[in-house]
Amino acid sequence: MNINVNEGNGCAVLALEGRLDSNTSESLAQQLNTTIDGGQPNVVVDFSQLAYISSAGLRVLLMAAKRVKASKGALILCGMQEHIREVFEISGFLQILTVTDTQQEAEAMLDSTTA
Amino acid sequence: MPINKHITLENQLSELNTLAAAVESFAEQAELDMKTQFNLNLALDELVTNIINYAYDDESVHQIEITLSHDDAIIVIQLTDDGRPFDLTKQPNPELDKELEQREIGGLGIHFIRKLMDKITYQRIDNKNQLTLEKQLHEEGA
Repeated sequence: MNINVNEGNGCAVLALEGRLDSNTSESLAQQLNTTIDGGQPNVVVDFSQLAYISSAGLRVLLMAAKRVKASKGALILCGMQEHIREVFEISGFLQILTVTDTQQEAEAMLDSTTA
Repeated sequence: MPINKHITLENQLSELNTLAAAVESFAEQAELDMKTQFNLNLALDELVTNIINYAYDDESVHQIEITLSHDDAIIVIQLTDDGRPFDLTKQPNPELDKELEQREIGGLGIHFIRKLMDKITYQRIDNKNQLTLEKQLHEEGA
């Protein structure tokens, strides 16, 4: 899995590419910690190039969501393909995490909550 | 025509890539749709990850044997490991309706397997765990 880190509008944007499973989830955990520890609690994760996710990936995202909430920030997930969205749905994660269709919507949502 | 595929994995997480490639090739031969392929991969990933992370008390190399079979409208998966006894079917379901702060991740993999598969059977044979999973394909497009 590749993680491309970019600076968005008042947030960090992490674009994931490939497969997020127990073999790769630790690298995402490290990147999320680096971003949050670096003082940016507003994080958008772009799923549009992600082909696969397992519970190991969900675990990392859940931990990050708890961390940013404690730091008064936000974690927004965007661009999920249908199969991946279904994994979030059967986990009950669509109720506890913020998910948008596009990165633009994610950034607009952050803009309105931090303004 | 029935299709069978046998996969042998070692107990290291990098083998998940081998698993994904094998599931893809099985799905192509059996002409399964993308969603079925994804879900088969997910169920097997969760099982194999559990085994690699929790089944062994030593540092040795172990083999995990998987057989995938497709016939007509059913897929049967058989998974055998020589780890400590573990009956997946006896594990509790996770609590899915907690708030973010209280939400825990344990058991989610098992929840996926139960959701994605129609029948799960566990046997302990010759000091090995043998799990059989069945998936009916009649609900295509559902």
